[in-house]
Amino acid sequence: MARMKFLCDAERCIECNGCVTACKQENEVPWGVNRRRVVTINDGVVGAEKSISVACMHCSDAPCMAVCPVDCFYRTEDGVVLHDKDLCIGCGYCFYACPFGAPQFPQAGAFGLRGKMDKCTFCAGGPEPDRSEAEFQKYGRNRLAEGKLPACAEMCSTKALLGGDGDVIADIYRDRVLRRGKGSEVWGWGTAYGPGKPGAAPAQPRKS
Amino acid sequence: MQGITRLIAAFSAAALIAGPAAAQAPAEQKADEVPSPQQAERERAAAQPGNNAPVWKEVRSGQPNYTSIPGRETDVLIQPGARFPGQSHFSTAGEAWRQFRNGVVTFYGGWLVVLVLVAILAFYFAKGPVKLHEPPTGRLMLRFTDFERIVHWSTAISFCILAVSGLVMLFGKHLLLPLIGATLFAWLTMLGKNLHNFVAPFFIVSVVVMVIIWLRDNLPRAVDLQWLNPAKVWGFFAHSEHIPSGRFNGGEKIWFWAGVLGLSIVMAWSGLVLLFPNFDQTRAAMQDAWVWHASAAMLYICASLGHIYMGTIGVEGAYGNMRNGYTDETWAKEHHELWYLEHKGDRRVGGTGGAVPAGAPHMKENA
Repeated sequence: MARMKFLCDAERCIECNGCVTACKQENEVPWGVNRRRVVTINDGVVGAEKSISVACMHCSDAPCMAVCPVDCFYRTEDGVVLHDKDLCIGCGYCFYACPFGAPQFPQAGAFGLRGKMDKCTFCAGGPEPDRSEAEFQKYGRNRLAEGKLPACAEMCSTKALLGGDGDVIADIYRDRVLRRGKGSEVWGWGTAYGPGKPGAAPAQPRKS
Repeated sequence: MQGITRLIAAFSAAALIAGPAAAQAPAEQKADEVPSPQQAERERAAAQPGNNAPVWKEVRSGQPNYTSIPGRETDVLIQPGARFPGQSHFSTAGEAWRQFRNGVVTFYGGWLVVLVLVAILAFYFAKGPVKLHEPPTGRLMLRFTDFERIVHWSTAISFCILAVSGLVMLFGKHLLLPLIGATLFAWLTMLGKNLHNFVAPFFIVSVVVMVIIWLRDNLPRAVDLQWLNPAKVWGFFAHSEHIPSGRFNGGEKIWFWAGVLGLSIVMAWSGLVLLFPNFDQTRAAMQDAWVWHASAAMLYICASLGHIYMGTIGVEGAYGNMRNGYTDETWAKEHHELWYLEHKGDRRVGGTGGAVPAGAPHMKENA
């Protein structure tokens, strides 16, 4: 089985926010929530400016999953970290724990009323039957079930954002680095996919 | 911010033009000058094209950058490193918090509550309750007014709801979830979380009123120092030996100041930070608030177990006092002798108390 990962090439990202828009449109993301965002470091500084598109990285040892009081997170066979909004109690612990700021409180209600947490699904929907109406309402499009990759990465105009089988996108990136001779930092991979503990078994998908 | 960014941009453009000139005169540079990250990145870009190390180093510091996405901390790419008590290494703040919550708080906090419970039960079965030495006289004294009892039970019942729902949110995943399944457990925890959120303000108000009405009677007196003597306290619990005291004894005063007032302040402050996550507090503030909230909660629950024990099965006659508001003269004499002497035969007893109602049960005039 493929292990799905995101990879953002800071040498290529031009901060067009196409991925943000693609995600919002494809998944009809709730008002006030952006499942993906583009952050620019040293904005406007010539020669030092770099942009990164960041969303849920679908970590191997996901902190959100570990702190959830009701255990509503699960991992698919593709290594995608998803959560069950029927179980979610909206406590926000995943939001404290995530290094990347992926899970968010919906902000639409009065007085900052909280509901179910929302986060990037790697365009893989949720626990409902694939491509069902209920799944779309809660989580957005299940593109993986349609044989497609996440909308953000597919829409990226410079192919800075890669989403897919971790081995395949790592090969693409390695080729690029060899060709251009620079920009070898695979941002966020250390935190998300980690070196892990030596000898530890890889995280297993939950059977549900 | 925009202006500053533009200024930096203008300066950096100027620096790029002036770059070659500066390179020809390195002697002019001061030795102790620390280059800014942007400066370091530019220098690195000239010397080692493609080495972005300074950029990535900056990112890991968790500093705000630029983003067009609105919202708090959306401009932070990754949470900065943090280390909670007992952790030897820095890790991302979220990961450090996860380790602390799932490790120290869950493990030590959980076992602390269990140990206190076991210790109390063991003591009860070994030594039994604190008993009266003399039979009740049948003459009653007003110990707590109706208002005092309403305030006490408001605080007590809301405390129990908060404690149980809080324990479910921390330990339910390990203890309840395997027993009752994900659907029922999530429904129960959702109910618990909402109760926790809505009962909390009620608890805070109750505590404030309680502190106001019992503040004066809880001011420390010289006689209360005996409650700091372990031999005396052991004598009281194990052998029912009397320690004279006013309306509240030294132990009750410690519970009042450290527990009801001190721990409540910590709980209320940290709880309010967590209750309104869509205000402008950062994730770091909420992680810290959670650590204070959960740690104080463990101590509060353990202390309350002691209080509940002494108020129910641990001290003969104590529960009836808070339930009915009246105590027997024998109980008053043997537990709060100074208060008994001050108010013996008094029609207006109790710290803030009003007149004894005419229909008070078994009320007898003292000649």
